[in-house]
Amino acid sequence: MAGNYDPSFAKEVFDNVDSGEEIKMCMQCGICAGSCPLRHEMDYPPRQIFTLIRAGRRDEVMNSKAIKLCTSCYRCKVRCPRGIPVIDVMHGLAHYGIKKGIIPRKGTAAFGGEFWKMIYNIGRIDEKTLPLKYNLLEGLVPGIKSTIEMAPMGIQMFLHHRMKLLPERKIKGIKELRKMLDKAKEMGKGGAN
Amino acid sequence: MKYFLYGGCSLEAGGKNYMVSLEPVCKALGMEFEEIEDWNCCGASISYAGANELSIMTLNARNIAIAESTGGYDIVAPCSSCYIQLVKTNHELKEDAELRNKINVILKEGNLNFKGSLNVRHLMDVLYNDGGIDKIKSTAVRPLKGLKVAGYVGCQTVRPYGEYDSVERPKVHDLLLKAIGADPVPFPKKMQCCGSGIFLTELDRCLGLVKEILDDAIANGAQLISTVCPMCALNLEMYQDKVNAKFGTNFNMPVVYLTQLMAVAFGMDLKKEAALDYCVIPPEGIIKAAIGG
Repeated sequence: MAGNYDPSFAKEVFDNVDSGEEIKMCMQCGICAGSCPLRHEMDYPPRQIFTLIRAGRRDEVMNSKAIKLCTSCYRCKVRCPRGIPVIDVMHGLAHYGIKKGIIPRKGTAAFGGEFWKMIYNIGRIDEKTLPLKYNLLEGLVPGIKSTIEMAPMGIQMFLHHRMKLLPERKIKGIKELRKMLDKAKEMGKGGAN
Repeated sequence: MKYFLYGGCSLEAGGKNYMVSLEPVCKALGMEFEEIEDWNCCGASISYAGANELSIMTLNARNIAIAESTGGYDIVAPCSSCYIQLVKTNHELKEDAELRNKINVILKEGNLNFKGSLNVRHLMDVLYNDGGIDKIKSTAVRPLKGLKVAGYVGCQTVRPYGEYDSVERPKVHDLLLKAIGADPVPFPKKMQCCGSGIFLTELDRCLGLVKEILDDAIANGAQLISTVCPMCALNLEMYQDKVNAKFGTNFNMPVVYLTQLMAVAFGMDLKKEAALDYCVIPPEGIIKAAIGG
C-alpha cells in the first residue's frame, strides 16, 4: 500500500478522539466487521479503520464513509473479545472529523448537528420540528420538496394522536444545562476545538 | 413499588401509545411512577455529530443527579435509546472515580451532584423481574389466545451490559408474551437493528434492514410485531409504504408495543388504555379475533 505514511496520526487519535486510545487493544479478529448490520455498505469496516489509524493513513480514515454509518446497535461493543467499545471509537472519529470540517456523509452530520442544537437550545427534542429544520438545511426549494414527501407520514402520526401539537418549551433549568454543556465541551478530550 | 419514570421525548409524541398503555399496565402490577423533575433529552443515538462524549454523558448525569436529589428509587426507561444512554452513564460514572469527579465539576454549574446511588433499568426488566410472570398471568383475565406475535427486541434494549437478559439470545420479551397468552413465533431477526437514528439520513440502506425484519416475522407466521422501543416502532411501522415501493413487497404488518398487548390482556379498554387506535396500521381486527370479541 503506497501512500503518505504519517506516524503522528495514531497519536493524534489517541490524544484527541473520544475513546481513540481504545484501539490499542485491537487484535484484528474482525468480529466487529462481521457483526455490523451495515457492514456491506462500509468502505472500511471498523477493523480496517483501526489498522489504517495505526498505519498513519489519515486521509483514508477521516474521509471514510464508514465512520458515520453507525446505527448505534452496540453489537460490535458487546461482541469485541478485547472489550473495545467499537461504537464509541466510531462516534469519536465521526465527531472529530466534523470538528475538523471533514464531512463525508453530509446528511447524517447535518441531522445530528440540528439534533444537538435543539438539545442545547431547549433541552429536549421536538419530533415535529426537527425533520423540518433538517429538510430546510438543503435550501428552501429542496427543503419544501422533502417536507412534502414526508407529509403523508406526518399526517398519519397527527391523525393517530402521535404528534405533540404544542411547541416543545424550554426546560426550566436550560440556563444551567447550557453552562454545563459549555463546560463539558471545554473539558472534553482535545478541548473545545 | 415506586420508581422514577424517564419517558423521554418520544413517549410524549411518536411513541405516545407506549406511554398511554404502560401507565395502567404498571399500575395494575402494583407499580407507582414519579417523573424526574425538569428532565432533559438523553442525547439518543445521533448527538455525537454535534457533541463530544463528555457532553452526552452530562445530559444523562444531570437526569440521574436530579433523581438522586429527590428520591431513592430505581429509574425506569421504557425507550431503549434513553435506557442505553442512562445505563451507560450510570455504569461508567459508578466505576470510574476520575470520570465521576470530572462530571461533578460540570454538574456543579447547576448545583447538582452525581452520587451513584440509583439503578437504571429498562421497562422490560421491571415488568419481568418486579412485576413477575405469575402476577402477569393472574392479571391477564383476557388472554390473547393463539395470537402469533413476533417479539422484536431491538438492539439497544438489552445492551450493552445484558443486565436482565442475554445480549445475543434474549428471551424475556417472549416470556412476557407467553404470560399474556400470546404465542411468540421463532424470530431470528429479533435483534437486528432497525436503522435507529440514521433512518432519515440513510433511508435506502435502512429500508433494507426493515425489510429483512418484516420478511422474517412473516416467514415465521407472525400476525403482528410487538416492540419495546419507540424508535423501533416508528421505523418498523411508518416506513412499510416506502419498503413496499422500493422492493415491490406488500407489507401491512401491525406494530404494537408490548404494553398495548398487556393492556388488552389485562381486560382494559382497547382505546383508552391499550391505545390501539394510535397505531397507523390497525391491529384491532387481529387482536379482537384473539380475545373473541
